[in-house]
Amino acid sequence: MRTEQIGDAAAAGAGLPIELRGISKSFAGIRVVNDVSFDMRPGEVHALMGENGAGKSTLIKVMAGLYQPDEGQILVNGAVVRFPSPKDAHAAGIATVHQELLLFPELTVAENIFLGQTPKTSFGTIDWQTMRQRSRQLLDSLDSGDLDIDQKVAHLSVGNRQRIEIARALAQDARVLIMDEPTAALAEHDVQRLMSIVRNLRKRGVAIVYVSHRMPEIFALADRVTVLRDGHLVATKPITEVDEPSLVSMMVGRAIDRLYPAKQGTDGEVILELGGVSHRSVVRDISFKLRRGEILGLAGLVGSGRTETALTIFGITPATEGRILIDGKPVTIASPEAARDLGIAYVPEDRAHQGLIRPQSIEDNIALANLKRLTRGIFIDAARVAAEARNAITRFGIRARGPEQLVRQLSGGNQQKVVLGKWLATNPRILIMDEPTRGIDVGAKAEIHQLMRRLAGEGMAILMISSELPEVLGMSDRVLVMNGGRIVGEFDREHATAEAVGTVMTRSFDREQAA
Amino acid sequence: MTAAVLSPGRSNLHRFLSGYGQEIVVLLAIVALFVVVGATNHRFLSNTNINSIFAGNAYIAIAAIGMSMVIMAGHIDVSVGALIGVIATIAGTLAVSDYPIWVAWLVPILFAIMVNAGVGTLVAYTRIPSIVVTLGMLSILKGGLISATAGEWISNLPPEFMIAQMRPFGIPSAVWFMVALTILAALFLRYTDFGRSIYAVGGNMEAARAAGINPERTVIGVFALHGLFAGIAGILFATQLQVIQSTVPPNLELTIITASVIGGVSILGGTGTVIGSTLAAILFACIGSALIFLNVSAYWLRAVLGLMILATVLADMIRRRRDT
Amino acid sequence: MTAARFFRHETILAILTIVAMVVLASLSDKFFTADNLLNQGRLMAEVGLVSLAMTFVIVTGGIDLSVGSILGLTAILLGVFWKNVGLPLPAAMFLALACGTFAGWVNGFIITRFSVPPLIATLATLALYRGLAEGISEARSVRGYPEWFFFFGQGEVMGVPFQLWILGIATFVAAIILGLTPFGRATYAIGANEVAARFSGIRVNATKLWIYTGSGFCAALAAVIFVSRVTTTRSDMGTGLELDAITAVVLGGTSIFGGRGTIIGTALGLILIQALKNGLALSGVKGDGTIVVIGLVLIGAILVGALFDRNRGG
Repeated sequence: MRTEQIGDAAAAGAGLPIELRGISKSFAGIRVVNDVSFDMRPGEVHALMGENGAGKSTLIKVMAGLYQPDEGQILVNGAVVRFPSPKDAHAAGIATVHQELLLFPELTVAENIFLGQTPKTSFGTIDWQTMRQRSRQLLDSLDSGDLDIDQKVAHLSVGNRQRIEIARALAQDARVLIMDEPTAALAEHDVQRLMSIVRNLRKRGVAIVYVSHRMPEIFALADRVTVLRDGHLVATKPITEVDEPSLVSMMVGRAIDRLYPAKQGTDGEVILELGGVSHRSVVRDISFKLRRGEILGLAGLVGSGRTETALTIFGITPATEGRILIDGKPVTIASPEAARDLGIAYVPEDRAHQGLIRPQSIEDNIALANLKRLTRGIFIDAARVAAEARNAITRFGIRARGPEQLVRQLSGGNQQKVVLGKWLATNPRILIMDEPTRGIDVGAKAEIHQLMRRLAGEGMAILMISSELPEVLGMSDRVLVMNGGRIVGEFDREHATAEAVGTVMTRSFDREQAA
Repeated sequence: MTAAVLSPGRSNLHRFLSGYGQEIVVLLAIVALFVVVGATNHRFLSNTNINSIFAGNAYIAIAAIGMSMVIMAGHIDVSVGALIGVIATIAGTLAVSDYPIWVAWLVPILFAIMVNAGVGTLVAYTRIPSIVVTLGMLSILKGGLISATAGEWISNLPPEFMIAQMRPFGIPSAVWFMVALTILAALFLRYTDFGRSIYAVGGNMEAARAAGINPERTVIGVFALHGLFAGIAGILFATQLQVIQSTVPPNLELTIITASVIGGVSILGGTGTVIGSTLAAILFACIGSALIFLNVSAYWLRAVLGLMILATVLADMIRRRRDT
Repeated sequence: MTAARFFRHETILAILTIVAMVVLASLSDKFFTADNLLNQGRLMAEVGLVSLAMTFVIVTGGIDLSVGSILGLTAILLGVFWKNVGLPLPAAMFLALACGTFAGWVNGFIITRFSVPPLIATLATLALYRGLAEGISEARSVRGYPEWFFFFGQGEVMGVPFQLWILGIATFVAAIILGLTPFGRATYAIGANEVAARFSGIRVNATKLWIYTGSGFCAALAAVIFVSRVTTTRSDMGTGLELDAITAVVLGGTSIFGGRGTIIGTALGLILIQALKNGLALSGVKGDGTIVVIGLVLIGAILVGALFDRNRGG
């Protein structure tokens, strides 16, 4: 029955399982997706690419019914539809395999596949026999005959969980399957397995939206590729008409250099040195030197070990191996407190969760990392706290009513400046900035970049982690590339091009690991 | 277990053992206790003693079934002991009045369901933690009970009211209730959508919502069910002895929660079985009785319980840490 | 966190307390007499001490259900050390205090070292400590303390009950620690966002350990005063104390989710509860009927707080 449907659809053209026309979506006045059209044909793998913030995730959330578009139409089988909720998208045959897998750890594999639509006996009770048999069939058809359907999901690997999510989508008779960075958290052999499952699904006529940064997968799987940039559609092309460099330049697009402030002064002496630093299996054998006045960019895909390296330097996940030297002297960094006292500051990637106490005021937040210094006797010196906050407000141009304003009332850019203000008040010599401009509008972005350059000019050593290639290339004096927990490439400013860095970032390193 | 084909690589026995690990441990502990204590003192195995262990503690096991469901859904209820005291008093008052006996049985149960549905509604929709709501409920019930009865005992209960003392087929009815309700609850949890959604809501509330489950309704339903079980437990408690003391049994809620936790219900929600909680309730009763037969003072019973709950919780946390 | 917002809740509470006092005074002419008020202050001291520490605990987003059991255990140990072991009474007091404090430390250790949710950890130790008290005492009470010992629970300094002085000083100290010191800042930060606190170089686990240890100490101190006041030790002392303390703290405006709350609020909550209990009793409400009112006030206060929070878009 399914195959007939596909034949019809392919012939008719109007029977596309989903088509988006001129979709736009804004958040807080910023257009995240701007007039994007996108369509899926039955039995194709359609890669959706773009940098972080290009609008990919917003677009797939529109398809999944999580967001309502401000403008534009969604068509299913040629008819205009609306998805007021994810349920409606499911009903239209659109399923999502989420990045953070939404499974129930204490229910069995079979139940997770059928939750919400369990087969019933004539008494209205759950028909375990049928449910288990159908689960078995579904998993077998996904080449996952080894998966025990009676096992609780809690103990399964990420790869297995993902297969369960795919089986769940199939149990819902999905005609479109959205896969959001499906390989980001997978080990190499699971990646291969996933790819064969995707091919299998394609054969069965399922249309797959495949969101990924990894070039080898894209070229191995995709039939067509759509590139987004800054919320706009750059192009949709058959995979045969593009190659890796052309894709990278479609994604990066704009001229980089003039947007970023130029370097001032020269690098000073080495201040931080890592020698063979590891943390369990996520940070492996990291060695590099960081100089005063230098901005060192750390590039890599999500999950490549960049943030994990920063957390190790900052003492959240202390190094299990290797040595860290500051000013040439070996140091032990067992806690963030120790890191701070050694002059290390960390502006984390997750501002709301890690960076700020949002229900508290600007001055409370700024005081938090500086309590020792702002205490006289046993009391907090309220006057100095306020003065410190006012100082930060003027120095960084934080747009706020005053030091007492609650941080959660500020815009993203101003919140980021509060985090910076908090850490610069500790007088650090090494500043680690993890995704310094994520979720910040263009104007504030430029301000943060100017500020970073100024700090470097004053002799600060800055380690910058960013998923935005233009930012890495534009800001860094030197670029390290991470992949699989290791440093796999180093480029100086002249040689750090989008193509070169992008290639090392996205390569799968079987060869490197064998070597 | 006809489904060996469906699960390659693992024997049914293996699956059974891994699925019911905690329950089996508790069961073995009960058996070991009977063997060891029975060997040292034969009176431990006497009919009277076994009867008093099972029949005298059945109401705790039954209340622990409902509590297990509440904990599985990610909540807690510290007012259940007071609720049972109130139910017993209402039932006794009705029984000595001129109402038909079934009124004296059913009205208190309905009352318990309504009270807990109210608690569930507050918890589900206001997002006030269940601990706070039930602490408040505890003091309302307790204060209400004492001020309404002034601590007077209810006696001269009609014999036909004493359901816990009836012995169909020679086995105390309290034991029948315990066994039947445990099996019913286990089937309910396994074979109904609502039963499965309890696990889902406790495991991952937002994912449950995404899967089309209404978490608020589930929480209210769980509390109402818990009320039903507490109600039945209260009736059994009321009809155990010839008098109803019109007080809140001290620390009853703690014993009930402990039974749920030791029986394999993770305190972080989303897991557990009711068979385990019933076995755990029996285990406590056995330990209490065994301590007496071993000439250990009963005063240490609670310390033993405290140590057991602490050890279970720590083992659970360490296991979780190893898993992740 | 702004002073203005705190002020609002406490102002409301203060007005409520005054209104309650006026109403109660009009219901019974015995209520508003110096004797009665001072006596109520005496009765408030034990719950009060525990509530002060509980404020810190709840501000970090935790809870301590074991305080009543710690009080019972400390009381029993005091009697045992003195009567059975034969230590001089001052030494017995000191040792019992140390044991109660250690019990609090154990709570903190379990919570921080094994990441056990505070609710569960202290529920377990509630049973454990009470069980130890029962086991050690075997339901025997200890009486016959020397006359000087009763000063702590029954004595007066300048016409004011001794323990009211202690409570007053403790309230003052607690208010200063929570409101004005780095430790207090760390406490609020942990409750509002534990991860961000850690990422800011706050010693989260050490702070929590101090707080739970402090909670044990306060319960132990309350135990000594309690024993001295009622001239005997029994293992069921302090049963249900946790409820009274949590009620006072939550009524005082401390968020059960952590991150918000003040000592002044807790003090007002305490006074309001004690006034209600005493006033209602004097106006003829039967003894335990007042507990109902307190339960209702507790749920009501949190409900109002939750709705208020929602309206603010918190």
